[in-house]
Amino acid sequence: MKTEPTLQTRREFLRSTVLTSALSWTVPGFLANTFASLQAQAADSATQIATGRDSTILVILQMAGGNDGLNTVVPFANDYYVKSRPRLALKGDQVLKLNDSLGLHPALTGFKELYDAGCMSIVQGVGYPNPNRSHFRSTEIWQTAADADRFEKYGWLGRYFDNACSGCDPTVAIHIGRQMPQAFTAKTPKGVSLENPQSYRFISSERGGGGEDMMEQSFREMNEADDAGNSGGSITAISGPGMEMRGSALDFLERTALDAQISSDTIRAVSARTQNRVTYPASQLSNSLRLVARLIGGGMPTRIYYVSQGGYDTHTNQPGTQERLLRDLGGAVQAFMNDMKAQGNLGRVLLMTFSEFGRRVAENANNGTDHGAAAPLFVFGGKVKPGLAGTHPSLAPEDLVNGDLKHTVDFRSVYAAVLEGWLKTPSEPVLGRRFEPLGLLV
Amino acid sequence: MLKVLDPGRWDFATAAHLLNRAGFGGTPDEIQRLVALGPAKAVSSLVDVERIPDPTPNPSWARPDPERLQRLAALRQASPEQRQQMQREEQQLQRERLLELRGWWLERMAKGPRPLQEKMTLFWHRHFATSFQKVRDAYYMWRQNDLFRRFGLGNWTRLLVEVGKDPAMLIWLDQAQSRRQHPNENFARELMELFTLGEGHYTEKDVTEAARALTGWSLNRQTQEFVYRRAFHDNGVKTILGRTGNFDGDDVIRILVAQPQAALFITAKLWTFFAGESPSPELNQALADVFRRNGNEFKPLLRALFLSEEFYSPHLIRQQVKSPVQWLAGSVRMLERDLPPAQVCANLLRTLGQDLFAPPNVKGWDEGFAWISTSTLLARYNYSALLAEGVMAAGEMANRPRAMAAGRRMANRARAGRTGAVDVRKILTDEERRDKTLLLGALQKRLLQSNLKPKQERALREYLESKGDLDDDEIRGAMRLIMSTPEYQLT
Repeated sequence: MKTEPTLQTRREFLRSTVLTSALSWTVPGFLANTFASLQAQAADSATQIATGRDSTILVILQMAGGNDGLNTVVPFANDYYVKSRPRLALKGDQVLKLNDSLGLHPALTGFKELYDAGCMSIVQGVGYPNPNRSHFRSTEIWQTAADADRFEKYGWLGRYFDNACSGCDPTVAIHIGRQMPQAFTAKTPKGVSLENPQSYRFISSERGGGGEDMMEQSFREMNEADDAGNSGGSITAISGPGMEMRGSALDFLERTALDAQISSDTIRAVSARTQNRVTYPASQLSNSLRLVARLIGGGMPTRIYYVSQGGYDTHTNQPGTQERLLRDLGGAVQAFMNDMKAQGNLGRVLLMTFSEFGRRVAENANNGTDHGAAAPLFVFGGKVKPGLAGTHPSLAPEDLVNGDLKHTVDFRSVYAAVLEGWLKTPSEPVLGRRFEPLGLLV
Repeated sequence: MLKVLDPGRWDFATAAHLLNRAGFGGTPDEIQRLVALGPAKAVSSLVDVERIPDPTPNPSWARPDPERLQRLAALRQASPEQRQQMQREEQQLQRERLLELRGWWLERMAKGPRPLQEKMTLFWHRHFATSFQKVRDAYYMWRQNDLFRRFGLGNWTRLLVEVGKDPAMLIWLDQAQSRRQHPNENFARELMELFTLGEGHYTEKDVTEAARALTGWSLNRQTQEFVYRRAFHDNGVKTILGRTGNFDGDDVIRILVAQPQAALFITAKLWTFFAGESPSPELNQALADVFRRNGNEFKPLLRALFLSEEFYSPHLIRQQVKSPVQWLAGSVRMLERDLPPAQVCANLLRTLGQDLFAPPNVKGWDEGFAWISTSTLLARYNYSALLAEGVMAAGEMANRPRAMAAGRRMANRARAGRTGAVDVRKILTDEERRDKTLLLGALQKRLLQSNLKPKQERALREYLESKGDLDDDEIRGAMRLIMSTPEYQLT
């Protein structure tokens, strides 16, 4: 604890690095407003947006590929379940029992401990009307919070940025990985992506040392979008018959270059001066969450973190694959939540999982399962209402739709709860219409 | 109707655009040669690939493995410990071959004599995105790659049938195990959604019916060949897209290709890949008409596309974000250097988000803006040090000991003056190396085929001025600086 800086020094730090490192080179016109408002906010201690210390944080964990919900939260006592899955059904003595009818997959010991500690909510039967069984379309639906028959241009988090974070630093959202998740797509894009802080910078190859680094200096100048270029013809939107307007590729690249510069110094400094307080298992997901924990502990002003784990598309030989993935998931999330607790940040952090769909009730002929519909999702944190939320969909054949579970909770009710109860912003402008927030938080 | 390019517009910029998009770019001399040929012959020099000799040998293991059967049999009889050991060895072998395969293909793209054939192979790899992660056999992956090369400029129906019967695809989308009792819908669905029609142009019922028709298409793992398994096939009547009959897999593909939407779908994808933005409905229809009129053959379509006025529309030129492969292969061509070692290239492409033979999912890579995040942009900037100067940016390799070792060897070689760094004397004249104004012009022409903004050029000049008389390392530093700009990420 003695290494932890005070609130005041954190604020000073953020103000000095975020603002000065950006202002040390000429700020192009389109960003000047951003910094003006940031400056104002940083000066105003009542404003929480630039001070990660005080505001709530949302961590999204994507389980890509369509996790088999029925073998994750297992209705082990259900006859339909047992009959539909002669090879794959998990038995009552295998699962980690939650009650007389439901149990967690045996590899989810990490989840079970968090559940027992009152830090986990299991939302059952989450999905949406007219489910789509394509990975891409269904992922897109979750990422954009759109109706299944409607295409949304921007992501749900992007619309949150547009509505609630105009003028924020790009690090208001951090994605651990390479390509931005579609959920971040916004009218005014926000958010940065990085894999590891050490390489998250321009590394000059200037030799010799001593004196100023001319390469670094020239690099910075060559990566500033200057006003002339910005207001000039090269940045006008491209349009053609039947095409939507968009900014030019160069405009986009210049903005990304700038975001990279601004966030690079801050993120490296913050992650370097914070230690993880617990041991994480060895996996890519763990590495991502370990970094998120360091950034949170170091006081980044970030509201949204996004991490992902892939491989859930278990058409063949599901048991081994799902076992490995869920063990990794449970261990990583447990370590992360313990780290948050050790930091004293458990009450500030909410971690929510999602997967684009569950899988069919009946197993297939290849010891696996095919693309399905509704499935559970998980929410963790010090302020969640622990236990089971929503109702488990019926497995009775007459209640299935094309062999799939019918959702009992619309995922947008979960988003609405997170937006209103956690990010403290009205959900309707983000979600397009009213979804009754699910009672997720205490 | 596609408009034909006005020959009066044929110059260095338009010829460079053709070479960048139909291939992986080239040197000023190569672009000049296309200018001299005129548009029709320049396009022909890229499209008529069979006229160009291609002597590159295949990997030594790129053939069915006669010992594979014995190895599989031995595996079944081994004790659990032995089996584990054997499986480890097999995985290791396959990983080594995959690395060799990646290097082999990159070599063809970055150095080979038929850039358009390789560009189309890359297009098909993305279109039929199949991953080693599931196939786990380098021979199958090579074989699919070779299939794209051989059939990728030919007939659409033929290509689809070949792909449907391709071992890697049979494994990748689970078609090999599909039986009439439990038809697996994976291949049937992607065939409609991603390969031929696109979402919204078929029903769920069409998918399940096509899956029934496709049963029987399977893989003989002993011969490593496609096999038709009569016992797996559903001989009942199916209804697909309004047509009814006792269809099989070939019928499914014929029915799909006959849909007007099929021509619109694939020509829109090709236009987007080459032009960098999706076509207007009118342009898409014109492209589909050319494709249909020419019997669903790709070569006449591409010839018309590359000779169209629309393709050279000024707002398309230098407005496409380079894919990581384009970035790497194009840099190697422009810098007239060798490819870095295969392991280094593999790490580079993974970091930049385009792991060859391991696309993220069946939809392949997202193109365009999706290649660029703050993370991948900085990684491009740092890897440009490797390509121009032969030095590995240290932080980039921190977590990758194997790549670090390979990078260090390369850096050592670069210092020893043998390979790794750009041969400055090969690509610049004595005058260009001495005169900073000439140098700035030559570097921009070579690396951007256009100009930096005045402010950027000033900053680059400041860098050069600060060095006094330039040595080769400092000239390479200037190359790296040009490569570390937003402009260089476009083609």
